[in-house]
Amino acid sequence: MKFESQLLKGIAPAVVLEILSRGQMYGYELSQAIEQRSGDILTLGKGTLYPLLYNLEAKKLVKGRWQQADSGRERRYYSITSRGKEQLAKQKAQLKELTAGLNLVFGGALAPA
Amino acid sequence: MKRLIAYLGIFFSIILGGILGLTAALVWTFDVLKAYLDTGYLLIGIALGAFIGGVLAFMRVRLYFKEQQIEKGLAKHLTNVPANAANLIRAIIGQMGYRKKVRADVMAELIAHFEDELRDCKGDDEKEQRAQKLIEDFGDAKLLAVLLRRAKKRCRPLWRTVVARTFQTIGVLILCFIVYVGWFLAGRPVVTVDYVAELNRMVRPVADETLNAAPLYEKAVELYEEKSSDEMSELLGKKYNEATNEQKQLIEQWLEDNDEIFDLVVAGTNKPYCWREYKEAEGSEGLMSVLLPHLSEFRRLAYALRWRIWLSTERNRYEDSFNDIKTCYRLGQHVKGNFILIEQLVGIAIESLAVHTLRDILSRHEIDSAMLATLQEEFQQITNNEDFIISLKTEKLFMYDETQRCFTKDRLGGGHLYIPRVTGLGGDIPTKLDDIVLEVVLSPQQWLGAAKILFLHPNKQQTREAGERFYAWAETIVNQSPCQIRGKGIDIEQEAMKIIGGNLLLEVLCPAVWKINQINYRNKIDVQATLAIIAILRYKLDKGDYPDSLDKLTESGYLKQVPIDPYSDKPLVYKKIDGDFILYGVGLNFTDDGGEVYRDDEGRVRLWGDVGDWVFWPVQK
Repeated sequence: MKFESQLLKGIAPAVVLEILSRGQMYGYELSQAIEQRSGDILTLGKGTLYPLLYNLEAKKLVKGRWQQADSGRERRYYSITSRGKEQLAKQKAQLKELTAGLNLVFGGALAPA
Repeated sequence: MKRLIAYLGIFFSIILGGILGLTAALVWTFDVLKAYLDTGYLLIGIALGAFIGGVLAFMRVRLYFKEQQIEKGLAKHLTNVPANAANLIRAIIGQMGYRKKVRADVMAELIAHFEDELRDCKGDDEKEQRAQKLIEDFGDAKLLAVLLRRAKKRCRPLWRTVVARTFQTIGVLILCFIVYVGWFLAGRPVVTVDYVAELNRMVRPVADETLNAAPLYEKAVELYEEKSSDEMSELLGKKYNEATNEQKQLIEQWLEDNDEIFDLVVAGTNKPYCWREYKEAEGSEGLMSVLLPHLSEFRRLAYALRWRIWLSTERNRYEDSFNDIKTCYRLGQHVKGNFILIEQLVGIAIESLAVHTLRDILSRHEIDSAMLATLQEEFQQITNNEDFIISLKTEKLFMYDETQRCFTKDRLGGGHLYIPRVTGLGGDIPTKLDDIVLEVVLSPQQWLGAAKILFLHPNKQQTREAGERFYAWAETIVNQSPCQIRGKGIDIEQEAMKIIGGNLLLEVLCPAVWKINQINYRNKIDVQATLAIIAILRYKLDKGDYPDSLDKLTESGYLKQVPIDPYSDKPLVYKKIDGDFILYGVGLNFTDDGGEVYRDDEGRVRLWGDVGDWVFWPVQK
């Protein structure tokens, strides 16, 4: 099941920050990583990815920098900033509370098996 | 080639700026061309402009070539992706509409994404299919371009946003300013009322042409012009004690030979009215262009009359002399009329000439009581109904006329100043290009004035209303004596500026009310003091001594009323002194200085001095 709905858009920044918190990546790598790490459940449209990255950059949550990739070509690598890390921690805490709340509402049906 | 032309342009603009700047610096520093110092300002301005322009051009061209280089590099990369992907990227970048550098960055990133996605594809078909799938994943190119642009704009550092917004605002303001100035300069006045005709209607009495003195005066002037040479006019302008005996004889002969001129003047003064038709000067329009050539001619006639008076007096022909004094005074009254302010002032000057000549004669000659009584009675009659207050009615017409000529048609903003006409009136606005550059562009202190004219100056309707308020107020002021005005604590100049201050047209056009007030009451007291002096002299001749006070004159029927000093609102100061008497007013300083007259730096007596008293008797030599 793939999420491309408003639901995903709301958590997309947190997902991007979480992936980047594990290491710097360029756009294509990032989109691949999101799909792989979510078991293909979460897919961020490419039309959403780059505007999202630029918005995060504007908020100084991530930082973009051109550098040579392993292939020898120039790629724009994005890395999380300290402000991004703080923001990610906040969003994680909120998601936890949200999940706990949803679990209570759905009688534990949302808890991972 | 383009690059070469661009760099040559920059090079020459900097060289030119440098040369001009160096010249300007030399002129400025060593004062080499003192007479052309103003040009120095111009050169500095041009040099600065050229230098800044050169530097900006240099920076701009460098940036342009840098961007061209980036674009070329990216265009190469576009060949690495399939045609459909390249088209999508071009469409997105084309529609982003943002700075070239940012667009190049985004373009490089998108190309890289496609390259990475298609890296493992084996054939062109597979590449195309994968590319198509990715294109669909990217979605609508236009929407994506908008989102990318918006996001990239947010990435802009604060200082860049501030600078960009500031320049945008300045640009918009400059554009608005240019449009506004264009609109401002395009405005033209529309003349709807012929105020010259209005003036002619206003000053013409309801009377038959045979009662008009003007044609007789005009004939007298024509004859005078015909019969007098420049030398004679110059001689007639001299004072009696300034002329030699030989010159006096020449004048006397000329006066006898040209009796008919004065017969015409006398005939004119016997007419009850005097009016003439005002005409605009050829090629000009409006009341301001009305010609008044008769004024200087009348003044010359008055000087000639004065010589007749002096010469008759020397021959002891007092009756002739007094008749000419009355003629001269009456001529002044006719010139004054209720006409244009300048005519009224010249008329008052001619009246004053007659009065002062009379007092001078009285001080030098002993005239019998009966003749003095006749003189006093006739002079009293002439001045009995005279309104000494200067009329401002015609001046108000000038204000109306110039308001319609100095303001554009009532349109958006209610009609604004029409600069060419205002400058013609003597408004302090530079018109020549040199002056504009020197006085406005290079003088920041003038910018405020220019901005005021453009944006804040009262419009046509407001000017008209302020003008009406001014003349209504002026009427009340000119009808109050200086002493009354002082008593009320009115500062005339300050009050006037409260009404017309900041209005370029009215400041130029409105008369100095304080001066008019002064002239009104000066003229009146001059006549009244002279009548009192005749009465005092008669009293002395009849009773053997001067009266103890001015009241004695009214009590004994020598004088109808005691002259009231407008600067004290009390009777003129009269004292008997060593077989003579003194009669004076306190003058402009409102202080009794004990009859001390004002003398200028060269020791000459000034009757209407700012300090000291106005002494009517003894006559100051």
